[in-house]
Amino acid sequence: MWTRKAAFTFGGGISLVLIGMMITNHQMMILGLALIAFIVVNSWLSGHGDIEVQRTLSADNLYKGDDLYVELLVVNRSHRRTQLIEVYDNVPHEMKLRSGLNQMRLNLAPNESARIRYVLRCPLRGHYNIGPVSVRYRNTFNLNVNEMKINHHSDIVIFPQVKDVEEAFLRSRTPKMYTGATTLRTPGQGSEFYSLREYVPGDPFKNINWKAFARTGELMINEKCRDAVTDVYILFDTREISRIGTVLKNPLEMGAVSAASLASYFLQRRDSVALCTYGTKLSYLPPDTGDKQYFKILSALAGASSKGRMPLQAVTNSVSGRFSRGSPVFIISSCEGDGTVPAAVRDLVGRGHEVTVLSPSSIDFEKLTTRIPRLDYEVLKIERQNRLTTLAGSGASVIDWMPDMDLSQALMQVRGY
Amino acid sequence: MAGEVAPQSDVDQTGGSKTLHLKTLRKSWQILALQIIATVSLVWMYMIIVSTYVVDSIDHTILFETLDSFGLDNPLGDFLTGSKGSGLAKFFVPLLLGLTLGGGMALLAFQSQKVQQRIKLGFILVLIVGLVGRTLLSWLGGMLFQWEIRAPNNNEIEMLQWPLMMILSLLIMTIYLLPIIAGTRGIWGLSKQAIAWSIGFTLLFLGIHAVLTFPTIMGQLGTYGDTLSTLDTQIGEATIGLFGFDLISREQLSLVLIAVLIMSFQESAFAVIRYLEYAYRLPESCKRDPEYVKQMDNSLNGHLRHTIGFLALTAVATMIALGFHSVLLDIVETTTGSQWAAQVSESIELRLTYGLVISALLFLGVASVLKYLVPWQRVRALFYSVTRSDTAAETISKEDIWSQ
Repeated sequence: MWTRKAAFTFGGGISLVLIGMMITNHQMMILGLALIAFIVVNSWLSGHGDIEVQRTLSADNLYKGDDLYVELLVVNRSHRRTQLIEVYDNVPHEMKLRSGLNQMRLNLAPNESARIRYVLRCPLRGHYNIGPVSVRYRNTFNLNVNEMKINHHSDIVIFPQVKDVEEAFLRSRTPKMYTGATTLRTPGQGSEFYSLREYVPGDPFKNINWKAFARTGELMINEKCRDAVTDVYILFDTREISRIGTVLKNPLEMGAVSAASLASYFLQRRDSVALCTYGTKLSYLPPDTGDKQYFKILSALAGASSKGRMPLQAVTNSVSGRFSRGSPVFIISSCEGDGTVPAAVRDLVGRGHEVTVLSPSSIDFEKLTTRIPRLDYEVLKIERQNRLTTLAGSGASVIDWMPDMDLSQALMQVRGY
Repeated sequence: MAGEVAPQSDVDQTGGSKTLHLKTLRKSWQILALQIIATVSLVWMYMIIVSTYVVDSIDHTILFETLDSFGLDNPLGDFLTGSKGSGLAKFFVPLLLGLTLGGGMALLAFQSQKVQQRIKLGFILVLIVGLVGRTLLSWLGGMLFQWEIRAPNNNEIEMLQWPLMMILSLLIMTIYLLPIIAGTRGIWGLSKQAIAWSIGFTLLFLGIHAVLTFPTIMGQLGTYGDTLSTLDTQIGEATIGLFGFDLISREQLSLVLIAVLIMSFQESAFAVIRYLEYAYRLPESCKRDPEYVKQMDNSLNGHLRHTIGFLALTAVATMIALGFHSVLLDIVETTTGSQWAAQVSESIELRLTYGLVISALLFLGVASVLKYLVPWQRVRALFYSVTRSDTAAETISKEDIWSQ
């Protein structure tokens, strides 16, 4: 495609030729012809975007706030020079360039390669996609330019931040004899060795004791002691109302951080953790232990977005039947715009669950973005306090989480239960 | 950790300019070569324009002589104005002065604001003192010694003549040398505006000259019009050619050169600014990155090659286009042996504008579709693949990169 410069040069050339003819002036005619000849000669050689790109990331999964190192290898596989070519790697607008640049002007010889290196800061959790690669090639004198895109994408998941949670802050109201995973002297899922037994079809191969097989000639299976674990349930409110506040500070973001931190804490204790997110629809991740569950929870939290208006009671009605008896339940919700929260909490407490409500103060988040008159603010705060008092009266431990408060600091509020 | 991206801080792997910092890049041979090409093109273009249109016709020395005839002496001196020279030599010294002034202005542009302000203020003060200093001193001194208040007398007022004539002479010289001063300031001072002024002024001059030499207008100008030099290129015999064909006359060659040199000056001068702007906008880590340095070298080398190659081709293509009608007639005459071609070649319409332009545009039209008939780039690629062993471009693994 011709550039504006080419169009002006050609138009100017034609005009000069015509005017030169009109006034019989050779200088104008020749200048015009030279301009047209310049365009003609330059059209003989154009650049091309026949390049190969390969993007390498330092990690496929990162935690919010971490740096991502990206390297884009650009190779000219053709037998021609690319001429002037601009390569631009499209990065999500949520990510910020920390070092380097995601674009480069190149002039690659045949089979020559170049590397574009840059570092991205990932300030927001989520599922992201880097790419495609935009290519713009032009000739030396910028007379023609063409654009194209190379569909080369890299997926990346930014997990919410995981903060350290001190054990003392999560002490149970009725102290358990053993916290975390406790081995029982019965065979089952666990980590410690219990005994050897003969192989039964259906047993996983990873449990075969190959040394015993070599010794006896029969397939033997390692049996493990069953770990007695606590099932922890986290109910995470992702309704539209949880978007109140700034992009970085809002109930949804803080809730994601707290859910990830709690999950990490309990999974490290080898407890089973279940996650239930609700907004437009209910998403339930059954309780499980281990790194795989941890990854699943973080992935689910990374993809959480504020949508919908599903009430908490609809959630508890749907999933509370699957909860283990007496297991702790964490409800992470601002408790705004949902009149069913007290009933749902009462229902859970009535079923014998130890309910903790971690409630980011949405009024204070709103105050970060909009100016609320003092009187209105006071009234709203009193309304919120009343709501939380009602929940506490229903038998739940309630944490009023202010925007400037650290998670550990917030959890201190339940100390002493 | 991001700041520790090892390859970006390693600047010793490349040859040529080590970093893309402006201080280093401005001294790289490619940038200097482009600036020199632009300067040479500018001076050459100016000399051809001057020799074609100005010398002994409307040059500055004629103006100074006219002023002399009114009894107004030129305070600049004949050596500086080139009045004692003949022909193009009249412009040698003024040209040097113009280049020096343009260079000085470029140098001034790179000084700090404070220094610039001081120099400008100093210049204005010198100008004021030079203009009215002697008159004021004489007048005020006279009033003080004679102890009377009076208006300046004739002798004191006459003291203003020399500075006024000096300013007038400088103004005349500046107008004549404006393309050179602005062009040099633009090339070395990296000013797009100055380059545009230089090209604009040149084109404006050519345009005004073209209009004034239009026969009807020239007739209206009477004796004044007679001094303007016109180009009788329509009747000039073609003596310069290629491949055995006489294509253009010597006068036409000058005009082709003017056109090509304007393009050469414009492309080289703007390219320098464009590349330096790009380098300036790069973040610090990229300026030190060998990959960016290497690609900048590639781009600059490519630009130099294309500036020389394509502009030479443009000149050749224009020459062929201008003489294409004679080439066609020669071919027809040689192949058919008929009298028709000889008769047509005598036709004034053919050798005048219409025939010439139509045949030239016909040639350029054919040349523009040549790329579809002869795929140059593929031929070049074939040549490359035959002459060079195909080294596989590197491929990398993730471990390779992040272990560096």
